[in-house]
Amino acid sequence: MKSDHDVIVIGSGPAGSSLARVLAKEGKDVLIIEKRKQIGVPVRCGEGLGARELLKQNLTLPKGIYSTEILGAKVVAPNGQQIIWKDEETKGYMLERKAFDQWLCELAIKEGAKLKVLMRATDLIMKNGKIQGLKVIYREQEEFELTAPLIISAEGMEAQIAKKAGFNTVHSPYDVDTCYQYEMMEYSHENLIELYFGAKIAPRGYVWIFPKENKKINLGLGIGGNILNGKKLGGMQGSDPKILLDDFISKNKELKNASIMNEFGGVISVGAPIDKFVTDNFMVIGTASKQVDPIHGGGIALAMESGLMAAKIILDAKGKYSKENLEGYEKIWKEGPGKKVAKRLMLRKVMEKLNDDDLNYIFKAICDKELNQVMKGNFAVSVAKVLAGRPQLLKILSVLTS
Amino acid sequence: MITIKHAGCLQCAGCCSVCPTRALELVGGKIEFYPEKCIQCGACVRICPANVIELKKEGKK
Repeated sequence: MKSDHDVIVIGSGPAGSSLARVLAKEGKDVLIIEKRKQIGVPVRCGEGLGARELLKQNLTLPKGIYSTEILGAKVVAPNGQQIIWKDEETKGYMLERKAFDQWLCELAIKEGAKLKVLMRATDLIMKNGKIQGLKVIYREQEEFELTAPLIISAEGMEAQIAKKAGFNTVHSPYDVDTCYQYEMMEYSHENLIELYFGAKIAPRGYVWIFPKENKKINLGLGIGGNILNGKKLGGMQGSDPKILLDDFISKNKELKNASIMNEFGGVISVGAPIDKFVTDNFMVIGTASKQVDPIHGGGIALAMESGLMAAKIILDAKGKYSKENLEGYEKIWKEGPGKKVAKRLMLRKVMEKLNDDDLNYIFKAICDKELNQVMKGNFAVSVAKVLAGRPQLLKILSVLTS
Repeated sequence: MITIKHAGCLQCAGCCSVCPTRALELVGGKIEFYPEKCIQCGACVRICPANVIELKKEGKK
């Protein structure tokens, strides 16, 4: 029996659209389904993307997709000491995330992919123990079935269908950061990303100020999902980033007088990726597989890369989508971006052991060049130099070897 | 049993991503709650960035 499509992609984010673009270009019949009314809405992230990441994709961002260029980063220690870090590596773009997601999807449609919005996958269609398609519902009214020999979960954080396919896509509170964000103006930002650290400012997280045009900013605060800093409705203890964000604003002369244009937020994955990304007739890509940078929670670049890698393996499989034929995607991901993600997960675990005194000390000890290495994941040199002057920091080494 | 104050909800679906039984789902731009799946673990309450979810534990029957 002929299937309705060659490939059905669940989710029209950066992972799904990147994969669909490549497959459609090679002549595959690709359908993207998106449960939301409009692609990219609501925005739930910091919207930053490195310039290098776009080069990897052979893409040039048209104006309107990004708000402004990022020149570098200003990192602020708990005691207020600053490091400004500006070079080729730190250049990037502040996206207009909604426009960016729409643009990436349009590129896929131009190559021949089809998109259906307001269409939600509710379950898998199984035949003889094999995945053969999806049960979907349009506008929460019309239910029907769509068949395809390959289903791609590009569902993002929720990953409901991937869970039904047997993947462990549930996040524990420890493995997420919960974030509250404002779009604000006016703030003199110098086109730098500003990051503020400290246990009092943002326990197991940080405050970010991302520059946008017209003195606008995306200001957000993320804290560990295991932090109990707020009383929740009904009296339960929990993470409440908004309390800390409002406190941060009240202590900053310029922000105190700025206006909030938009409130949003989200929960980001900062844990390890899932073990397996594929099974027969099914693949999980992007944030759905928890492929996220564990330090800053950024997932856009990894999602796009994952989409391209999966697409390559799908084309190589020549229509035979057995687990064995799809496993190459797991392999190239783990040997490529997966290595960096694993290193940065270790670094995150080190960082969360540090108190404010440790952080202040490290800021003082690390010169700009070495900070550069830390950010790239080559942190051994910096750690060793810092430890030489402060033996009590040895406790962090236990984390690295555990 | 949880209740959600939808007016302040950011529709980020963070609650859905930590729910171990997938008792929460973003459906038609709104978080739906399936009480029969809920195990009252409170993970959604703990991490909701907007603090709009409340858990009222039900007594043993």
